[in-house]
Order: sequence, then C-alpha cells, then structure tokens
Amino acid sequence: MSAADCEQQGTGWGILEDLPGDPMIWVLIFSELVAFGLLLGAFVVARAIHPVVFAAGQAALNANLAGLNTIVLVTSGWAAARATRSARASEKRASRRWLLIAMALGGLFIAIKLTEYAEEIGRGIGLETSPFFTLYFLLTGFHLLHVGLGIIILAVVCRRAEISGVETGAAFWHMVDLVWIVMFPILYLVR
Amino acid sequence: MPGRLDITWLVLIGLALATILVPQLVPRPLLGDALLLIFAVTKGRRIALDFMDLRAAPALWRGLVSAWILIVVLVAWLASAVVVLI
Repeated sequence: MSAADCEQQGTGWGILEDLPGDPMIWVLIFSELVAFGLLLGAFVVARAIHPVVFAAGQAALNANLAGLNTIVLVTSGWAAARATRSARASEKRASRRWLLIAMALGGLFIAIKLTEYAEEIGRGIGLETSPFFTLYFLLTGFHLLHVGLGIIILAVVCRRAEISGVETGAAFWHMVDLVWIVMFPILYLVR
Repeated sequence: MPGRLDITWLVLIGLALATILVPQLVPRPLLGDALLLIFAVTKGRRIALDFMDLRAAPALWRGLVSAWILIVVLVAWLASAVVVLI
C-alpha cells in the first residue's frame, strides 16, 4: 500500500483522527483527565470527611499567588493557541515566537509554584502535616510535573514548527491549563 | 480587531480575576462556591472549545471533555454543600 493510499484510508485511529494533532496525544490527554478527575474526587470526598482539617489547611495556602499563576497559565495557553493558528497559516517564524512565549510563561508558572512551595515548607508545612497537605502536594506536584513535560513537548515541536507537531504540543498544553482551571478553585477557594 | 482566541483569553483573564475576588465579596459559602465553580466550568469550556479546538471536532469529543469538567465540578460542589448543610 502506498503512502497516498494510507492517507486516503486514514491511519487506523478511527474517530480520534478528527481531533487536531497526533491521535496518540489525545489518548494521553483523556487518560490524564481521568487520573486528575479521580485525584480531585478523592480530595473533595476527604474534605467532606475532615472539614475542619481541610479548612485549616486551605487557610494556610497563598490563594493570591495561585490566582496569579492562573493568569500566567491561561495567557500561556492563549500563546500556544496563537502558535497553532500561525502554524496552520504556514507562518513558522510566528509560530515559533508564540511557542517561545508559551514556554516562558510555563517556566514562570513553575517559578511561582516553587516560590509558593518554599513559603509553605518554610512555615513547617510538609506532606505529612495533614491529609489536606498530602493531597494538596500530590495534586499540585503531579500537575507541576505535567507543566514541565508540556514545556519539553513544546520545545520539541518548536524546532520544526510543523502543523501536526504544533497542534499536538498545544493540545497537551491546553489539557494542563484545563486541569489547573478546575483544580485551583477546588483546592484554594471552595469552602 | 481581536479574534475569537483573543476574546477567549480576555474572558479567561476576567473570570480568573473574578474567581480571586469571590471569597471576599460573597461571604455565603454555598452561593460563593457555586459561583466559583460556575466560573471554572465557563473557563474550562472556553479552553476546550477555542484553545483545544474542539468547537470544530465531533460532538463526542466536545461532550467527553465537557462531561469531565461538569462531573468534577459538580462532585466538588455537592461535597462542599454536604459539609455546609450537615
């Protein structure tokens, strides 16, 4: 079968082919959403069981820094979306520029989050302080790892700035953004 | 003139700022939490539709991502409502 035949008949991914980027990234995205969903579910159930402990834990967090990080991450997501649009318009230079902005903002997110951790650890807060902090560090740490992985993926696709690669990297990046948007109010603000 | 992506970004920034202000402006937990989570659903939907480009994708994928947002947020609100009401 020639490459043209393969293209005409699809690549065997079925309905996943209707999504932007490499279908494999969407398998990863849906798996990650399930994992984060279960972790957030565990967090809210634990809060319902230990409301006093969780209220005390939440009061010790810096919601303003986390709010600032929300603005940083959605702006980074916007830059990644602009990179995709530029790549589709065959404007590789512009696409690379937007990807670099997205990555820089991702780096800023990590720096702010590490500042927040340092502040908390400096006050004697750790993984074993309470069930709230065990789940807080687990959830935010797992998310932070994904931010780091997302920056690496964006850096890899930035080199060639081809449509499929940029769409793939951006899709993963938006998943990281989406998870934070839901996680932030649940961890920091909902009473 | 700003395009859809730029408008979505502005909406997300506005809702992010509103989210930070809700606990100070709305002292009642049930109402405040509901507002916070409605904002989260709105932001999540805008990211899924406009940034992830699911607006043009088959309804199945839009539905799955929207369902994920709604289920997580609804469970969070119900759990917090149970604590407030008991």
